[in-house]
Amino acid sequence: MTLQSDPERNETKYLHKLADFAQKRILEIGCGEGRLTWQYAKETRSTTAIDLDADALRVATIDRPSDLESKVYFASAKSEQLPFSKETFDSAVLAWSL
Amino acid sequence: MVHALSEIRRTLKPNGILIDMRPVLDRWQIEVVSTRDSRETGRMQDFPVGLADDEAANQSVAYAAQNGWFTREQEDFFSFTYSWDSPKEMEEWIEEEWEGFIGLDEETKQATRSAWASADADARVQVKVKMLITRWRTTAQNLKAASQS
Repeated sequence: MTLQSDPERNETKYLHKLADFAQKRILEIGCGEGRLTWQYAKETRSTTAIDLDADALRVATIDRPSDLESKVYFASAKSEQLPFSKETFDSAVLAWSL
Repeated sequence: MVHALSEIRRTLKPNGILIDMRPVLDRWQIEVVSTRDSRETGRMQDFPVGLADDEAANQSVAYAAQNGWFTREQEDFFSFTYSWDSPKEMEEWIEEEWEGFIGLDEETKQATRSAWASADADARVQVKVKMLITRWRTTAQNLKAASQS
C-alpha cells in the first residue's frame, strides 16, 4: 500500500505558524511513532514526547536521529496523570489526541 | 479530557503555550487527482461516535477557557491530505483505521472507483481531512485564579 500523508506539509506549516519552538522545552502528547515530533524537535531545547502505545514508542525511539538523542525523550504516560513537575515546559502540543 | 488539560496546565510555565491540533469531522471530501485533473467524487459519512468525540473535545476546551485555565490566542483550519494509489487501498485503510468513526457509502465508493478507472494513469485517490489548530496561553494570573477557586 502506498499511502501518502500530508504531501503539502500543511501540518508542519500551520504548527510553525502558531508555535515557536526555538530553544523551548516542549511536551508532546500523543506522539505515536514520532511523525510530528521530527517536524520541530531539532529547533527545541528539549522535547519530551509521550504516548500509551508501547509499539509506537519503540518505533519512535528506533527512528530517532542520532543528533536528537540528547534532546528528544520518549515516555509512556497518560495525559491525565503526567509524571512531570509543575511548570516544567514552555509549550505543549496535543497531537491529534484531545 | 478535562483532566488532561488540567494536567497540561500544571506542567506548563506561566505564559506557557498549548497547541491543540486535531481532525474535526465535516464530511471530508474525496477526490480523484492526477497531474492533469482533479475531480470530487463524494464525501465521507460522519458516524455518531466520531461526532460525539469531537463534541467532547470541544466541551473540554470550552470548560478550560471558562475556568481561566487557558486563553485562546489564535485558531485556524487547514487540510491534511491522505492519498492512495487506488480506491481499493483507500477503502481498506478507512475500514481498518477509521472504522466506527467515519465511513463511505456505496454510491461514493462506486463514483470514486469509476472516476479513478477512467482517469489518467497517474491518478490517485485522496481524502482531505479538516484539521483544527488552536494556540492557547496560560498565564501566572490564570494559574493563581484557578488555584484559589
